[in-house]
Amino acid sequence: MRIITLSYRKIIDITAQKPWEKLVYDDSYLEFKIQAQNFTIGTDHTTYAQLIQNIPAAKKLGGMVSASVSGYIQQLNNIVPDILNNLGRRFIKFDKYQFEIINSDILDIGKHQVAINFFSGPMIWHDTVDNMLLVSEYRAAHAGNETLTYLFTIQPYVNIHSLKNTY
Amino acid sequence: MERKSFLKSLMIGAVTSSIVAEACQKDSIATSTSSSGSTTTGGTSVINGSCSVAPTETEGPFPTKSPASYVRSDITDGRTGYKLAVNIFLVNSNNSCNALPGALVDIWHCDAQGNYSEYGGSGLQSTNYTSVHFLRGRQTTDSNGAVAFTSIFPGWYSGRATHIHVHVYNSSGTSLKVTQIAFPEGSGTAVAAVNGYSKGLSGYTYNASDNVFGDGYALELATVTGNTTDGFVLNITFAVPA
Repeated sequence: MRIITLSYRKIIDITAQKPWEKLVYDDSYLEFKIQAQNFTIGTDHTTYAQLIQNIPAAKKLGGMVSASVSGYIQQLNNIVPDILNNLGRRFIKFDKYQFEIINSDILDIGKHQVAINFFSGPMIWHDTVDNMLLVSEYRAAHAGNETLTYLFTIQPYVNIHSLKNTY
Repeated sequence: MERKSFLKSLMIGAVTSSIVAEACQKDSIATSTSSSGSTTTGGTSVINGSCSVAPTETEGPFPTKSPASYVRSDITDGRTGYKLAVNIFLVNSNNSCNALPGALVDIWHCDAQGNYSEYGGSGLQSTNYTSVHFLRGRQTTDSNGAVAFTSIFPGWYSGRATHIHVHVYNSSGTSLKVTQIAFPEGSGTAVAAVNGYSKGLSGYTYNASDNVFGDGYALELATVTGNTTDGFVLNITFAVPA
């Protein structure tokens, strides 16, 4: 039996259209501007790249800015957005996520680009049907019983994050 | 360069845009039948010859505006220590020292053992961010220029006198002042009463030798009253140019 976890890296940039994405974008940019000033004051740096290259402590910025999006993550009710099974429904449950600043600039919101990495709970990869994976949520107690399964296609920015073989 | 970023935006759009997905619904005829590999057709990402299923779900949940988890008055987060009420008043040095309303005030300080909350580094985060960001908070000044926090009396760590970090921003997030609050010391003071919690004050750095406060701290020195039974109350006024 192959037990996998899935990850999805949801990238949000200036082209964001959906309300949830725009809220995450705007609020994370405001928080970036706020927190970046703890490092930029007295320097000429304006971009995230300059900060992490020149000021080691600026690596904390991702964690510091993450507080601006945690309320929005909670509104997802632990369901990974965007990624659909073959019925057109979101189906991946997550309990872990990681906020990431890709690029930003305190003078230019257009340069702001962030990602939220979602990590699923353990799932069983039963089979591969055509170009789709057949998976179910891993529940040890259900071994040997009928299991509800999902068919889905691996999409861009989706990864099999970890794999464990059990025999 | 422009072309590059245009292509990049297409790739991202393929994941997030419902418009793109709609162009490739299950019950419409697929636009591409390439047998393998990934191609991009008019902004639609086609993987292994089939397109992704469009969302077919009841709309929602509808997102609501949510403040950063820093925005709260009680920043204790279960940290143990003597209760400390922190009252900060801001006045505008560019406006006859009148009260400064609508300013964001961030404060953060260490716990009783002298440790700051971690930012999590590169590891996976659990969803409970409030415990990750303990003893950090943000409030907006009221019409009197006042903000109030509930916390614990800070501990101390090697090389620094007891202090609370303060960063003041205007309402759009532009930094107005980075400063720290210093504590009165000597017999009868809160610092003496708390006595460094379990550490004692052996090796403590006093304000006069502190590398931040050592060059003068009269304007950063708070008034601290109270006792270890009822807790302490800290008051300080900062003048900032706004």
